[in-house]
Amino acid sequence: MSKQFLRPPGAAAEADFLGRCIRCGKCALACPYRAIRIAGLLDGLTVMGTPVILARKSPCYLCMKCVAVCPSGALDSRVKKREQIRMGTARLNKKECLNWQGTFCRSCYDHCPLFNEAITMDGELRPVVNEKKCVGCGICEHVCPADPAAIIVTPRGAG
Amino acid sequence: MKIAPIRRTVQILSLAGMVAVPLLNSRGISAVSGSFYSLEIGSLLLTDPLIALQPLLATMSIDATLLDSALIPIGLALVLGRVFCSWVCPQNTLSELFDAVGARLGLTRLWTPGPGPIPRYAVLALILAATLLYGFPLASLLSAPGIISVQTARFIYEGTVGLELALIGTIILVELFLVRRVWCTHLCPVGSMLSLFRFRKTMRVVMAEEGENTCLHCRECAKACQLDLNPMAGNIAPQCHNCGACIDACQEMTGERRPLSFRF
Repeated sequence: MSKQFLRPPGAAAEADFLGRCIRCGKCALACPYRAIRIAGLLDGLTVMGTPVILARKSPCYLCMKCVAVCPSGALDSRVKKREQIRMGTARLNKKECLNWQGTFCRSCYDHCPLFNEAITMDGELRPVVNEKKCVGCGICEHVCPADPAAIIVTPRGAG
Repeated sequence: MKIAPIRRTVQILSLAGMVAVPLLNSRGISAVSGSFYSLEIGSLLLTDPLIALQPLLATMSIDATLLDSALIPIGLALVLGRVFCSWVCPQNTLSELFDAVGARLGLTRLWTPGPGPIPRYAVLALILAATLLYGFPLASLLSAPGIISVQTARFIYEGTVGLELALIGTIILVELFLVRRVWCTHLCPVGSMLSLFRFRKTMRVVMAEEGENTCLHCRECAKACQLDLNPMAGNIAPQCHNCGACIDACQEMTGERRPLSFRF
């Protein structure tokens, strides 16, 4: 299995998604943030033509327009509310996180669309990801001022 | 009346639409969206029949919306034949253009395949069997019109194009130097799938019966055919995609009495 990619909201589990997606590109056309990119041949033959999100560059803002236009059910139209989305899970790397190095920062906490639910601040004012609530949109990864990002979304189904 | 000017207009409009859709979508106007895989006009969804069949084979689950969206393209093929190929498909437009260039340069090809439909159906069967076996929509990676339209959109959105276009380049080179128009006549799974949807009354090129009109046996129709078919020989379906070049050539020689015409 090649590298796992972050998929748009409502995407079926990877193997099922690869069978359902007809590579038509409509989700990418519909994305107002141009967050959805079309994977190319270099990304692997099996994923070529499928939609991927590179969260660090351009995350998903959970507008759900892509889910509405998907003709094949690869993006499940029954996923309507953002709370239902399971694109992946944000993971914090304490070695890179500014809060853990003594600099106060709340970029990820402030920008999380599931505010104070998916990311909370602990007693020492350090961000904590609530894996049950996190939908994997990648906004935290996008806004993280550390370089490389201290908080990174692991796509669903990847290690 | 000549067919070519009408067909050229449709081809140019199709190319223009292929560029206009992503341009408009990128500016938030999305009344029409999609590609040659699947197109959405208002709330009307149209999907390439081959592409719509793939998820069914790959995942063994039925998506009624997707399958229904192939009905209008199937209906169009049943009535008018493979006019998608000859009047709309950007790969055919490109191949026609390069074939004309090849003719100007006086290129001769290495090999001429037989006209039978068996090879193309064998290729289609192989692709569908692989889809079933590996749960993977292989035909999407082999749909030349799909690739051209999605890569056009990618260029407009991201300013880059992918290596997928290598397939299009390969088709053009092979057709120029090795086998004339081989993609459209023997390989393309999209066209092969469309050619399955035909019956007695599907529009086709027909030579009038003896006495009704007179064929001059000038062979201009066969010379006009880029797919190397011979309309005088009769049954040229399913390879023929109803471009009408032979009918125009016939009219050139015989005037309005042309023995060759589209019939249902």
